[in-house]
Amino acid sequence: MSIDLSFLTRVAPTLAEGLSTTILLAVPAILLSATWGIVVVMGLLSRFRLVADIARSYVEVVRNTPVLVQMFFIFFGSGFAGYPLSGFTAGLLALVLQNGAYMAEIYRGGIRGVSHRLAEAGLALGLTPRRSFGLIVLPIAIRNVIPPLSNQGVLIIKDTSLVATISVAELTFQARLLADRTAAVFEIFFTLALFYLVLTAIFSGCMRLLERRLRLA
Amino acid sequence: MELLVKSLPLLAHGAATTLYLSAAAIVFATALGLVLALLQLFGGLILRALVEVYLYVVRGVPLLVLLFAMYYALPYADIQIEPVTGGIVVIGLYFGAFMTEVFRAAVLSVPKGQWEAARTLGLTTPRILLDVVFVQAMRVAGPPYINTCIMVVKGTSLVSIIGLADVTFIGKQIVERTLAPFEIFGAVAFVYFVICFALSRLGRHLEWRLNYVP
Repeated sequence: MSIDLSFLTRVAPTLAEGLSTTILLAVPAILLSATWGIVVVMGLLSRFRLVADIARSYVEVVRNTPVLVQMFFIFFGSGFAGYPLSGFTAGLLALVLQNGAYMAEIYRGGIRGVSHRLAEAGLALGLTPRRSFGLIVLPIAIRNVIPPLSNQGVLIIKDTSLVATISVAELTFQARLLADRTAAVFEIFFTLALFYLVLTAIFSGCMRLLERRLRLA
Repeated sequence: MELLVKSLPLLAHGAATTLYLSAAAIVFATALGLVLALLQLFGGLILRALVEVYLYVVRGVPLLVLLFAMYYALPYADIQIEPVTGGIVVIGLYFGAFMTEVFRAAVLSVPKGQWEAARTLGLTTPRILLDVVFVQAMRVAGPPYINTCIMVVKGTSLVSIIGLADVTFIGKQIVERTLAPFEIFGAVAFVYFVICFALSRLGRHLEWRLNYVP
């Protein structure tokens, strides 16, 4: 059996059109989720009971419902409410809401893993509790949780495929168009899978580099 | 509100499909995860490499892409399969990889001394696995296992995209007819919430039971 890879040159250009949209969606989704996660974890750890309760309910609701349903809720709901969001914005919003909650849980684990003596050392040096947390505990916690954050980032990249259902022309959307038009379905989905594998491999590679850079000597 | 009451039977029907898909996919993924984890821990070089490749591919490719691949490619390969069965198989294959990681990490978390002690007592390898290692690994595997089960339940929502009538699919159809996205998708989300919340509660209960020392 000979393997003919010439189909790659036929399928790849069309898929590449969707690639830029996938990247344009994945990058802000990852960055915003990581940032939103910090806000949420501050809420979870808040001294104020009400804030902590609200943050906890948010995390529970979001983590126990599918991101696809959240996407539909935001996309169709926003249109119905008279403020129609584009598929791209609705998808981005749903991805950030969902993954921000997961990231918050990851940060929480990281913060719990930092010895409280470090925070006390900050206080002894005359830092306010807030600054001691922000300047000492949080940076150490984030450095320690880069591997699980990276895993979550890979899941975000994969979940960007879901916006194909609210008609955003990203990778999976393009592949589906191709598959509807031609009979070369094996080739199309093989190439599509390859695109995602390369994307996620590049991302985890970058995260590993970052982890190595940030590791203490 | 009236609309919600009227759509309730339809949504309940979809919820039943979602439950069935979830249960079947969880069973399949668990079985696959156990087998792959054992192969990876105790298999030969070639088997281990094959499992590693499988895990790598599944970790890097979206579930939706695998579902589409099944949906589009199987008719060309002349494979006749029920769409529901196909969905269960693909979801099971996908989350089986996650389960593998859970089980492998749990078995590896059992200290080596336990193996050595059991061997000194003259237990055979299968006996050691069952009586010594698994019972301890189960405690470690509990919470991440339940998390993965919740991911499976949420993952079943993707079958709505390839046209299976689960609760998300039915919800979307009702919304297209009635233009009431908040009520209907709220109800759909509630169905998932109930299933997943029940799962995590069950998990916490089991965890408590397993860690109980008389």
